[in-house]
Amino acid sequence: MTTTPQLIDALVERATPVARLRAPLVRAGRWLCWAAVVLALLVAVHGVRTDLTAQLRQPEFLLSLAAALATGILAAIAAFMISIPDRSPWWSLLPAPALALWLSTIGYGCLTDWVSVDPGPVRWGETLDCFATLLLTSVPLSLAMLVMLRHAVLLRTRAVTAIGALAVAALTSFALALDHDLDATVMILIWNLGTAALITAAGGLIGGAMLRRVA
Amino acid sequence: MAFMSAGRPYRGARLTLVAPSGSEAAADARRPDGNLDWSRLMARAQDGDRQAYRALLEDMAPYLRALAARAFKEQSDVEDTVQDVLLSVHAIRHAYDPGRPFGPWLLAIANRRIIDRLRRQARAKIREVALAAEHETFSDAHASLPPSEESSASRAALHQAIENLPPDQRQAIRLLKLDEMSLKEAAATSGRSVAALKVATHRAIANLRKLLRVRNETPDRNPDETP
Repeated sequence: MTTTPQLIDALVERATPVARLRAPLVRAGRWLCWAAVVLALLVAVHGVRTDLTAQLRQPEFLLSLAAALATGILAAIAAFMISIPDRSPWWSLLPAPALALWLSTIGYGCLTDWVSVDPGPVRWGETLDCFATLLLTSVPLSLAMLVMLRHAVLLRTRAVTAIGALAVAALTSFALALDHDLDATVMILIWNLGTAALITAAGGLIGGAMLRRVA
Repeated sequence: MAFMSAGRPYRGARLTLVAPSGSEAAADARRPDGNLDWSRLMARAQDGDRQAYRALLEDMAPYLRALAARAFKEQSDVEDTVQDVLLSVHAIRHAYDPGRPFGPWLLAIANRRIIDRLRRQARAKIREVALAAEHETFSDAHASLPPSEESSASRAALHQAIENLPPDQRQAIRLLKLDEMSLKEAAATSGRSVAALKVATHRAIANLRKLLRVRNETPDRNPDETP
């Protein structure tokens, strides 16, 4: 059983100089820059969807795209803000308006598709391609987020992982909308839930390891 | 949670307490009112100044103890919470921005650790049952609690019944059940075959069952009188 003075001795012994974290806004900006690089690479390699110009003239599509992008940016800022102990937890509500708008456009899309659904052939090739885009966008973004927010596991683990996963999910959806004309709403939902679970699990593991390393 | 609202008066930069330790390193980190400037100490600790770090942790501990004492009754819980907070502060000390007040930063971490512990305790309370002394039984009779009247009465009856068995059955029960020998060991000790011991044990248990049943039905009668 370690007494508190013994613990203080041990901690002082290990007090090596540390690099201070930059302001949360700066760090969110860096993550968003990384996201921009990933998306740019994806577009450069894969190209955009063939009917993008036509789609961009549709207000619903444009609104959905803008809402997803805004959700991603605001959620990233919120995640970096609430990862710092003394910042207000209310920051987590920052992406809420954009999220509501984005979900309402997805919902509207589902509703109109439901009405006009026809038993066409299943396009496996396109679905796999779409899945590859999901992976190529969300994995690098999730990993970067995980590394940058690893200090938050000791604090608001769930809130940070949920908001961080929302940022990844929104930007992934943005990339999908640019690249594919497949309605992958269900896949986006499934994948986003998977990402959130992955980040939460990894957060739990790293948190335990960090505590053990210090203790 | 009531605790969260109770923590509000501590918000702000006036969280610094009068330092009991007269660390020299901390001497120039004092505010005009004589209190240690935790924010400045933490900034130095981030740069690797161990003396400043020690002064900060030692100065923080009593404050954290007082904070934890409002949530926990047990002294061990209070001390564990203080240590949890110190470990957390150490693990994420790079996340502190010296440009901002230290108090809210520390309080947010302390509240988180206190809530974690309260939740853990609440969960344990639902799942676990504290073992009372009578739940503990050891193979060595002296280590266990003295038997109750009822159990000693039934034990005496069992021993009496064993005494009343024919000699070969009594020996089989002694060796195999009371001394917990294996059939091989019992055979070697008694010089009887394994098969004979098995048969004797089987008959002895049947007899004991009969003897004890009769005794329970007519407690005043002598087991010897049973047909």
